[in-house]
Amino acid sequence: MLNQEQQEALQEIANIGMGQAGSSIAQVFDHFVQLSIPRILILGADDLPSALEKLVNADQITAVRQAFHGRLRGEAIVLFGEQRCNDLADLLGYEHTPDHVNELELLLDVTNILVGACLGGIAAQLRSEIGFSAPSLMADRVPADALLRSEDLSWSTALLVEVNFRLEQRSFACHLVILMAQEEIRVMALALDRFLETYK
Amino acid sequence: MSGTESLEMSAFIVDRMEVGIFAVDSTMRVVLWNRFMATYSGQSADDMLGRNLFQMFPELPAKWLEKKIRNVFMLKNYAFTSWEQRPYLFRFSHSRPVTGGDEAMQQSCTFLPVKNRADQVRFVCVNLFDCTDIALFQRRLQGTVQELEREKEAQRRLIVKLEDAQGQLMQSEKLASIGQLAAGVAHEINNPIGFVNSNLGTLDNYVRDLLRLLDAYEEASSKAVAPPPNLEPVAALKQEVDFNFLKDDVRCLLSESKEGLERVKKIVQDLKDFARVDPTQEWLWTDLHKCLDSTLNVVSNEIKYKAQVVKHYGALPQVECMPSQLNQVFMNLLVNAAQAIVDKGVITVSTGVSDGWAWISVADTGSGIDPENIKRIFDPFFTTKPVGRGTGLGLSVSYSIVAKHGGRLEVESELGKGTTFSVHIPITQTHPDAEANAV
Repeated sequence: MLNQEQQEALQEIANIGMGQAGSSIAQVFDHFVQLSIPRILILGADDLPSALEKLVNADQITAVRQAFHGRLRGEAIVLFGEQRCNDLADLLGYEHTPDHVNELELLLDVTNILVGACLGGIAAQLRSEIGFSAPSLMADRVPADALLRSEDLSWSTALLVEVNFRLEQRSFACHLVILMAQEEIRVMALALDRFLETYK
Repeated sequence: MSGTESLEMSAFIVDRMEVGIFAVDSTMRVVLWNRFMATYSGQSADDMLGRNLFQMFPELPAKWLEKKIRNVFMLKNYAFTSWEQRPYLFRFSHSRPVTGGDEAMQQSCTFLPVKNRADQVRFVCVNLFDCTDIALFQRRLQGTVQELEREKEAQRRLIVKLEDAQGQLMQSEKLASIGQLAAGVAHEINNPIGFVNSNLGTLDNYVRDLLRLLDAYEEASSKAVAPPPNLEPVAALKQEVDFNFLKDDVRCLLSESKEGLERVKKIVQDLKDFARVDPTQEWLWTDLHKCLDSTLNVVSNEIKYKAQVVKHYGALPQVECMPSQLNQVFMNLLVNAAQAIVDKGVITVSTGVSDGWAWISVADTGSGIDPENIKRIFDPFFTTKPVGRGTGLGLSVSYSIVAKHGGRLEVESELGKGTTFSVHIPITQTHPDAEANAV
């Protein structure tokens, strides 16, 4: 779906985009945030559930999804382990230890920041505008293998960009997965070609 | 459309849209305040423009909201709030003044970075959506779902109860059919046993007489001065039949037969009790402690070498029951308890009242019941005792007696630790039999 050159370009764009994202997120949280090198995969619907399950090393996972739209369209999923993100409450202006409802709001807030920063970074490299819908809770502490069922997925191939975050001082960690289904991969390929043009 | 016209139209739409729209600059001063915001907040655009948002609305969660808006400036990215987690930012009255609704307008907000050509965020524009209708609907739906869950749970419990009831029904069904069979068999066996028993008694007497007669002959012949002639064949015959042994053994055989017959009679009696073809039983107000004590006396012979009996009697009122039948239950439980004890142990008899029911428990420190067998212990003819020691009827008889009292016979057992049987019966009978018998 993506040729070698396009895939390499995407890797490069993701690296730079995530770097920018990291510095924006550090500004928001007032802490240095560790980001992994983005991993780019193209996989079938059958393989997605197990790929997500393998990503998070926890029995119970919480997931928040958020759609992005513009020329690039898709969904991002942020996967949290047992610890979720309660340790970040004060960094986002919550005044008390979060109760269950605040906890969910905090998850949505954190997801919005991470998704916005990372996709914003990638979109900026590709010089394309991107908009976001409100994030919503996808799974509230479910067993890792119950997150997605491949038979519910309507596409056959997807592009997956995965990056994980770590904030050591706050014992916070999560995974961000950007997913684009097959139609959108073609748009991405075109955008990558244009990107490559500018360097030729 | 000219540029001015288009701008005017945009401004008009922003002002009149049925969505709250306002914007602040990086110092939180209000730069846009549309009509929706003015209507619901009671603060006109003139009041608001140029003023600090948080000074004008001290009820806003300032620390959190300001951080949220600053993040939009910083990240150049959208932010959101949802009524589900945070019902509202501004405490507005809802848009259902007539039909009613929640205490306040439920709001979802989008925070939009307003950028200039240099891609800098100049303002943050907030779109505030009235979600009261959705929220109301959702909560009603949630109520319905909860109601359904509750009903499902109630049904689940009912199914368990039904299964229990079915199990008990099958048990009593089984008891009833075996009961009929047993009643017939018992009756049939009783007649031959009767005449065999009486014949055996007579036979015993005859044998005694015959032996006495023979003894007399012997003595007479031994004392005779001149022993009668031709006695040699008699002596030879005596030798041949081993007369001395025969004399002893015939007594043994008779007494063993009598014992055997006693056992058959006991089994038949158990069968009859089990079939409980005994309509003369009466419901009486009874002191169960007296029952227990008298039963303990009756079985003391079976117990005393095996177990020490400890009594924990609680306060027990008079209970409406059939005392002789309950005695039989207690006897069964006590004898079983003693038999379960291999060497030496303790039998604890406790009583008490809970929830208007009287309970009596018999606990032993015996060998316990194998979990495999525990389901079958109330089945008629089920026994783990050696052949000849138990009929396998004791517990099923007890079970049916307790059931007839509208009660429960329960068992708890741990292999190697011991077994506790507890009888629970209502203090007052509501059984129609009770009234019929009381008249």
